[in-house]
Amino acid sequence: MTTMPSDDEIILLARQAGLDLPAQYLPELIEAYGNVRRMIERIPTGRPHGDEPAHVFVPAKFLPVGD
Amino acid sequence: MTDPHFLTIAEASKLIATRRLSPVELTEAYLTRIEALDRLLDSFVTVIAERARAEARAAEATIMASGPVSRMHGIPYCLKDIYETAGIPTTAMSKLLADNVPTRDSYCQEKLVAAGGVLLGKNATWEFAHGGPSWDILYPPARNPWNREHSPAGSSSGSGAAIAAGFSPATLGSDTGGSIRGPAAACGIAGLKPTYGLVSRRGVIPNCFSHDHAGPLAWTCEDLAILLQVIAGHDPEDPGSANVPIPDYTAALTGDVTGLVIGVPASWLDDEDPPTPETKAAFEAALDVFRGLGCLVRPVNLPPLRQYDDAKKTIAVAELFTIHGKDLRTRPHLFGASLRYRIIAGGLVRAEDYINAMRLRTDLARAMQNVMQTVDVLMLPTAEPAGKLEPIPPSSLFTRSSFTTPFNVGGNPAVSVCSGFAANGMPFSLQIAGKLFDDATVLRVGDAYEKATPWRQKRPVLAVTETA
Repeated sequence: MTTMPSDDEIILLARQAGLDLPAQYLPELIEAYGNVRRMIERIPTGRPHGDEPAHVFVPAKFLPVGD
Repeated sequence: MTDPHFLTIAEASKLIATRRLSPVELTEAYLTRIEALDRLLDSFVTVIAERARAEARAAEATIMASGPVSRMHGIPYCLKDIYETAGIPTTAMSKLLADNVPTRDSYCQEKLVAAGGVLLGKNATWEFAHGGPSWDILYPPARNPWNREHSPAGSSSGSGAAIAAGFSPATLGSDTGGSIRGPAAACGIAGLKPTYGLVSRRGVIPNCFSHDHAGPLAWTCEDLAILLQVIAGHDPEDPGSANVPIPDYTAALTGDVTGLVIGVPASWLDDEDPPTPETKAAFEAALDVFRGLGCLVRPVNLPPLRQYDDAKKTIAVAELFTIHGKDLRTRPHLFGASLRYRIIAGGLVRAEDYINAMRLRTDLARAMQNVMQTVDVLMLPTAEPAGKLEPIPPSSLFTRSSFTTPFNVGGNPAVSVCSGFAANGMPFSLQIAGKLFDDATVLRVGDAYEKATPWRQKRPVLAVTETA
């Protein structure tokens, strides 16, 4: 597992995401991010270049209604 | 005749078609019961009594003149308060949508109107179908009719409670990780998460686009089949909607399951997340019922349950943040604490992490379909019997795995049915999952089980004047 960011780094990451939260919400942001980060760390990486994700663009889905 | 409020859709529709039951009287029976008893359960956030009476009168007039247009004609129903309804508040139980009155109906509501249904009102939900239970949002959380101190689970909590309580014979919920099947399990009713794409999500306030499913809850699988017949179908306005033939779901309920092969995800149940002994015994008893009906039961192996949860929840937290980011940035105080905790870190998920989670979803969905090719259905408990209704740490979303989420990841149809009652009186549940777009088999198996067991004969008692 990679090193968990410090509390200040998490707050900076949030600001970079446009989330400049009032101080009262920072403890829940830091705790919630820890949970999310642990989930993400368990997801396999290092996949082949052409390995497509579950959602791909299907143009036929966007034909005007009635076509 | 059964009390009108405890009639199933199938029973009521037969009586209406033969003019032995008036839609007006049936609607009034539900409205009276809701008025008298929903203060105990808080399963409705909006009741539209006068409009319902008008719809019932119109349905009755049409039926008397030319007969019913569908099996839902003249049948009351309700909707989780995330289904948009023109002219009727649709709040998702959130202060953020306290004043939201849509101008257009959701696809499903349009279908139910066309089928002649009578809308009673809107059901309680966890906030935006994700965070809860909460006491700091627009309305209080719903309670479980089998024991008001217990939870009806979430997020279609009011939907589950309303059906079990006899406040409505039909409702629609939504299921992103188990939010139809969980409340169905907790409240001892039937709830179907259809195949992804079978029922349009247009006009259903989103939770997580890639995993959201709209679907029905009712007392029996037969009733689910009647509802699915109305709402299934291609909708070009939903990019996830599938253009597939729609079978006759009620005709599929033959009662015959002889020779079906049932797979049991052994590693989940034996090693990864073993149920309590009481729940395991109820599950084994259910499998014995199916053996008695001529089914073959055998173990199957799927990828770890944890992987399904990690993939889904990583995707979900990013999609949820995308939906709610603007409000989190500008008015975070209007969110309930539970929902806010569950989505606040979504903005910190990198694109690489989201796409790798989507890649994992591909692997997991393929693995699910490969196993499904070797069996007719999978079976496992839906959940443990419902616990107390009390605040739960919002972190539990990230730390607990569930038996329902894998079928959201795979997109497979899955139904929850009542499989008995625990020593404390709370319902046990059985989950039956099937092949993609084989919702008919899932319903057939659930229906056969309900007809082979006595569990549909027992209703919760809400007041001292009622008898079970």
